[in-house]
This record gives sequence, C-alpha cells and structure tokens, in this order.
Amino acid sequence: MNLKSITMRLLFLSAVNATSLWAAYTLFTIENWAPLIILLFATFLIDFIYFSPRTNASKWLIPGTIFLIIFQIYPVMYTAVTAFTNYSTGHSVSREEAIDGLLKQNVEPVENGDQYSFIAIHLGERKALFLTPANGGDSVIGDEKGVKSSNNSAIPDGWVQFSNEELKTPDIQKWLTALQIPLANGNFLQADSFTTAIENRSLIKFDAEKNQLIDVASGESLKEKGGNFYYLDGTRMEPGWKIWVGFTNFTDVVSNERIRGPFFRVLIWTFAYAILSVLTTFILGLTLALTLNNSRVKGQRVWRSLLIIPYAIPGFLSILVWAGLLNDDYGLMNRALGTHIPWLFDATWAKVSTLLVNLWLGFPYMFLVSTGALQSIPAELSEAAQMDGASNKVVFSRIKLPLLLVTMAPLLIGSFAYNFNNFGGIYLLTGGGPAQNDSDVAGATDILISYTYKLAFSSGKGAQYGLATAISIIIFFIVASVSALSFKRTKALENLN
Amino acid sequence: MKKRNRDKVWWRYLVASIALIFSLMPVIWVIGAAFGPAGLTTQSVIPHVFVLDNFKVLFTDENVPFLKWYRNSLIVCTSAAILQVSIATFAAYAFSRFRFKGRRVSLVGLLVLQMFPQLLSIVAIYILMYKVHLVFPAIGTGSAIGLILVYLGGAMGYNTYLLKGFFDTIPKELDEAAKVDGATAGQTFTKIILPLATPMLAVVMLLSFIGLLNDFVLASLFLQTTDKYTLAVGLQAFISGQYEQQWGPFAAGALLTALPVIILFQFLQRYIVEGLSAGSVKG
Repeated sequence: MNLKSITMRLLFLSAVNATSLWAAYTLFTIENWAPLIILLFATFLIDFIYFSPRTNASKWLIPGTIFLIIFQIYPVMYTAVTAFTNYSTGHSVSREEAIDGLLKQNVEPVENGDQYSFIAIHLGERKALFLTPANGGDSVIGDEKGVKSSNNSAIPDGWVQFSNEELKTPDIQKWLTALQIPLANGNFLQADSFTTAIENRSLIKFDAEKNQLIDVASGESLKEKGGNFYYLDGTRMEPGWKIWVGFTNFTDVVSNERIRGPFFRVLIWTFAYAILSVLTTFILGLTLALTLNNSRVKGQRVWRSLLIIPYAIPGFLSILVWAGLLNDDYGLMNRALGTHIPWLFDATWAKVSTLLVNLWLGFPYMFLVSTGALQSIPAELSEAAQMDGASNKVVFSRIKLPLLLVTMAPLLIGSFAYNFNNFGGIYLLTGGGPAQNDSDVAGATDILISYTYKLAFSSGKGAQYGLATAISIIIFFIVASVSALSFKRTKALENLN
Repeated sequence: MKKRNRDKVWWRYLVASIALIFSLMPVIWVIGAAFGPAGLTTQSVIPHVFVLDNFKVLFTDENVPFLKWYRNSLIVCTSAAILQVSIATFAAYAFSRFRFKGRRVSLVGLLVLQMFPQLLSIVAIYILMYKVHLVFPAIGTGSAIGLILVYLGGAMGYNTYLLKGFFDTIPKELDEAAKVDGATAGQTFTKIILPLATPMLAVVMLLSFIGLLNDFVLASLFLQTTDKYTLAVGLQAFISGQYEQQWGPFAAGALLTALPVIILFQFLQRYIVEGLSAGSVKG
C-alpha cells in the first residue's frame, strides 16, 4: 500500500466520519434515538471495514449495500409487513391517534352554553385566544390548559394579535380547529368560526382503565371491532386505526366476490400481455436480425442505426406520443388509415394498442440481442451442415434457432418479468382503461401492477394500501416462480460462478 | 445463380423498409408537429409551413420553465447515473474477483430482490424520506439530492450483473500478473480492469441515464414545485389535461429531450450490442 492510497483513504474516511458526527449531533439534540443508534453503528462498521487489512470484498461492496438496505430492502420489508394489516384510508393511524380524533369529533354544543367572540393571539411560541363573552362580562384568555381571567378588556402586554394572513396558514388553522379550552364544569370552548367560540360537551369519553370508549349519556362501552369503534346504534365511527389482519388480504383475493372477479380477469390479461409482448417483440426482432444479418445486404450499419431509434428514445416520451397518435378523434393513425377506430376507448382495441406500442418499444432491443447472438454462432456449424446437404431451412431450425434460444433464454425470461410489471407501458398509454363493469378500479387493460397502483393510490374509494401490498406479494411470487422454473430449465444460474 | 441471389436480397430490403416505416412513423410525426404551427387538429405528417413557434413557447413561456426542467434532469440523471455505475462497478468487481462467504447467496438474493415489484415500496420510501426531511431538509423529500440518494438504492441490481458478466470475461491472468508486480487490489482495479471496461461502463452509464430520465413516479413524488421538475414530470404535467392545445410545444420538448440521447446511442451502438449480449452469455 502506498502513501497516496493511504492519504486518499484517510481523507475519505474523515469526510464520512465528520458528516456522520454532525448528523449524530443533530439527532442527539432532538432526541431521536433509534436513527442515532443505527447511524453510529453504521459509521463504526464502515470505519472497521476500511481500516481492517482483511475485509477485502466488503470494501468494494459496502457503498452499494448501504443504499440497497435503506432504499430497497427496508421498503420491501415495510411493504411485505403492510400486507398483513388493514392499512387504508380510514385505517392509517394508531389506535391512540384514532381515539384522539374521535374524542375531538364527537362533541355537541351545550344548550344555552357560553358564547364568545375571540381574537387569536400569541406570545412568542405560545398561542391562545383572547375571549370576550357575547352577553357581556369580563374577557378571559384561553388555551389548551384552560381559561385565565384577564385583568382588563384589552389584550395583555406582550401578546400580539395574529394577522389575517397568518390565520390562513395551515399551521395556525390546524391549531385553531384542534383547540379545546377546558372549562371548570367539564365542558370546553371550541372555535366555530374565525372569530367566535362556543361551549361544547363530549358525547364520548375514554376510560383508561378499561381501555375503552364510553358513551357519556348512557355510560355504556362502545363496541370495538376490526380497527373501528361502533356507535350504540351500530354505525361505524371514522377514523379507524391500523390493526393486524393476518392473511385476510390474501384470502380476500380468492374469496371476496368483489375482489376476486376483477383480480382474475386482470391476472389473465397480465399473463397474456407479458407473453404476447415477449413473443411479438422477439419474432419481429429476430426476423429483422435474420433479414439484415446477411453479407449481401448493403448498408447494414445504417439500417441498424435507424431501426434502433425507438430504443434510444426515453420510453415515457414515446408512450405519450403514441397516446396522441392513437387518439380516435384527431390522432394520426385514424387519419392515415381513413378509419375511426377507438384505439384507446374500446376494451379489445385498447389491448391491441398496448401490445402494438409495446412492440414498437421493444423490438429494437430484441433485434440488437438477436443480431449479437446470431453473430456469435460459429459459421463452421452452418457450413458443415450445408456440406452434409441440409437446406437453409433445416440449418435454421435445427442449428441456428436452438443455439440462439440457449443464448436468448435468460433475456426472454427477463423480458417476461419486465413486461409482467410494465407499469409505464399501460398506465401512461391507457391509464388502465377503458373502465369495466365488474370493478370501479380495474380497467380493461390494467395489468396487476397498475391495478395495485390504483388500489393503493388513486381508487375512488380511497387507498386500499393493505390489499394492494398483498397483491404486490402475489406478483412477486408469480414472477419469482416463473423465473425460477425457467432458470432451472435453462440452467443459467448454475453457471453463476 | 446470380439472378437468384439478387431476388433473395430484394425481399430483405422490403421487410427492413416496412419495419423502418413502423419504427420511424411516430418520430417523423413528432418532428412535423414540433416544427409546424401550434394545435393538433390542423397537423398533417409534413407541415405546410416551417415555423419555430413551438420552440418559442418552450423558451419564453414563464409557465413552462422547460430550460429549468432540462437542467434539473441533466443534473439529477447525470450525477445519479455516474454514482450508480460507480457503485455497481465496485460491487461487480468484488463479485467477479473475490471469493467470500455468502457470495452466491448475495448474487441470487440480488436477483430475487429485483423481482419484487418496487412500485408500492415508494410509500415506505416516501414516509422514510419525509421523516428525514423533517430533520435534514437538504436530503429529504422535496430535494434533488434526496431523489439522487433514493436512485442509488437501485445501483446494485441489473447493472451489477451486467458488469460482473463483463468482468468475468477479462482474463484473471492479468490480475495475477499485476499482483506479482506488487499491485494492490485497488491498483489492479484502476490500472487494469477499468481501462479495459471503459466502453462497457459508458454503455451501462447511458442505459442508467435513460432509465433515470424515464422515471416519473419517484421524481413527481419528490419534486413538487414546477421549478424543480425533471423533464419526465414536467412534460407529463404539461400535456395532461390540455393535450390538444399543448401538442406542438410538447413535440418540440420531446424532440429536444430525445435528440441528445439518440446521438449518444448511435456513437455507442457497437458497444451496446456487445454489452447486451455479454450480460446474457455469461449469466
């Protein structure tokens, strides 16, 4: 080891340690312990690996591994765990937070209760309301701790009134809507507009001993089931909270009528889409490779350069362009053909369109790799066969194609796995549409990944994140087993040395 | 005999020409739309007039800070691609040249991880980076650096495999010779492996760059102000909703985005073919 590399290493490690120490200090000041411990441990590990003379391979692997753990393994674990919860809109918080929310919501104005007009004021970070009774009387100052009488009818010294602009900021609004000022009689004051507050009382209260919500009027406990409380009349209280549901999300996929129908329709189309995409791109790519890979074809380089242009264009652009081309009213496709085909708005045509666009996007890749594979087949093999009297057809089907498939098999499997989850290819072109009768989420061209995406983020009924992650795991098992089977057959992994 | 040969070549040109029309049709249309007058309904394949109105919109309209998007994309994608490939190269070198405990398991593990649909794990990434943002705003959500960091999570995937496959084809004897001469692993790497792998690295870098340029899910989650948009997010937002009106400027923007990539692709074409097949032949 020479001086230069030692200096470099020291410089690098000092930078890492300095950054890490600074970050650790920041975490320490805000008392954020768990990340602090992880950070210190990771820094120690890095120092150990780079100072130790023996940890050879780790030195090269550590940068990638750190990012891999933070941004791939951890998120995947998180996703996998979520599949066993009911995480969804209305079930996104913890039980304590849900109870907090329910207590704040379930209030009613007290008849003939106090009424106030108020001015929102603050003293540094402390926020409060300066309240004046509507029926006259002394003003008071109220905050989450309670009311304090004020000596006179003016805002006390030092306190500053919030301006109208400040009142409109999200932080202040959040504070104002959440604020409950307790009164001596057990009720509390709550703002019901930007300038007035009224006396409210709770309809429910939390019994810490029983760990239950109690209906104040009757004194009965509220029923708790499946991450929700229920009113005495049986209606569900919102919000609920996140709970473990075991395999419910998975069993729902096969047993819940509303989910099963669309799921299997989408599953079948996903397989069809992935297989047909691989087949069409491979056949066109191979045909072109065979056509052009011939010494008598002039300008092979030029042909190749032009044919791979679709591969070089960023995919998101191409798909958006195709969406315009296929527009049924003003798209070029219909005008060029003189037709009025609903390319993107009819279930069958939309499927054809997704395959067509995917063919356009994918055939140059297959063309390139087929060309490479064809050129790597030794010419002697075909020549020997031809000497023995084999026709061109036989040479191709008995010699070239089998050899080609051996080389291409891993790529074809890769292509299948890619298209099985080709989110952009579907979502940017059709958005999964057109809509279908059996589901308000899954459209005609939705594949599993776009279906899960919509379930998780953009379905009309709110996010069904738990169900979506469960389907993600199902996708993983499908892709993994298809790949495992094919790799086993092609023995590709056995050469992994 | 000679005549038969010429007949045979004739159909090859025909097949290639049909494929060429298929592959270039959208491209020609984009060019036509970019240089034509604004509006889609009046558009024919070859514009009647040749105007630069659409480009003017991109460069002058304040609601469409196209140049900023371009710059953001260049900065984010270039730095992420360089870092991604560097990380992948280190890892690939370790997998190719060292024999260590858990090596095979790690390789298979990496492959299996790639099969997990990562689309939904962006929720976890978002929550994580939002928490980071609360403590360290510079590297959390809303910052380009945060986005680059997240992109680095993908470095140890396909690229590592591709590069490992390539490194495996570089004879080990070269390393051993260097070792005999007293070179450390680091020196062997920089003096022997890297120079031999430069074309391959360029290809992987280009493919990474295109991949990153394509990302709109993560980018739209991280960069939520118009000024910070990348091209994918910007152009996407630009045409959604008002497709018809914005078609011309969109085509112009698409052209300016795709052109540099296409040119680079043409230069690296030979290596790309080699690289793509190297990845497959050597598993």
